[in-house]
Amino acid sequence: MPPLENVLVVSAILFSIGVYGVLTRRNAVNILMSVELMLNAVSINMVAFAVYGRVAFDNTFTGIIFAFFIVVVAAAEVALALGIVVRLFRNRATANVDEVNLLKW
Amino acid sequence: MSATEVVFYIISFVMVAGGLGVVLSRNIVHSALALIMSLGAVAGIYVILTVEFLALAQLVVYGGAVIMLMLFALMLTRARERPQALFGKNRPVALAVAGGLLTAFVAGILGTEWAQSNRDEIEPVPFEEIGDVLFSVWAVPFEVVSVVLVIAMAGAILLSQPDEGER
Repeated sequence: MPPLENVLVVSAILFSIGVYGVLTRRNAVNILMSVELMLNAVSINMVAFAVYGRVAFDNTFTGIIFAFFIVVVAAAEVALALGIVVRLFRNRATANVDEVNLLKW
Repeated sequence: MSATEVVFYIISFVMVAGGLGVVLSRNIVHSALALIMSLGAVAGIYVILTVEFLALAQLVVYGGAVIMLMLFALMLTRARERPQALFGKNRPVALAVAGGLLTAFVAGILGTEWAQSNRDEIEPVPFEEIGDVLFSVWAVPFEVVSVVLVIAMAGAILLSQPDEGER
């Protein structure tokens, strides 16, 4: 098994990449992909703590269950968000988030 | 360094490379393919952390469902037909934020004394115990999340219905 620190550092790197993607990308679908990266980085964190701290946490596997719920909620979120993107494209003929400024001053 | 560790570093490299492909690729479809690579590598990390169940769920849900949905959305919004700037103007800010976050995380992780005993004696997590916990302690959240999923799917269908008068 790799040391706990290395797993955490890898997930921190993946999370930062996701943050960068969310902030730079213009296409809404692409932003969603970056959000998926961030969600997965957090899942890795939780699973790592659950597995390495298994004895300390009394075999409850809470981190693993949380990662499982993250997968389910991410699936729901992607379906809804893509519905919104398709809707947006039909109404405004764009999927770029900076061109959607109807509510902006 | 054990064989598991070597495999872990290789998989981590693939994962980070896939992530960079997602955020840096000039072609959005290539981004989606890089996302498959990255999420598959995350499943590999779950296997190394001995949580095979989660790795399977990851591959089925992300590799199958989520990526398919994203590719469909890319096709429906014709992202490739209109060549344009893929990146916004706030690249330096984003770089600063991401770099600052990464520095803070890594400093925090490496500066902490993690109370791990002997990491080579960590036992694998069996399928059965996860199932036991999931359907006893977490039974109510499990049901709630299934309702959430149904509502989200119904909402997605409703959102993409054409308006009256359209077509």
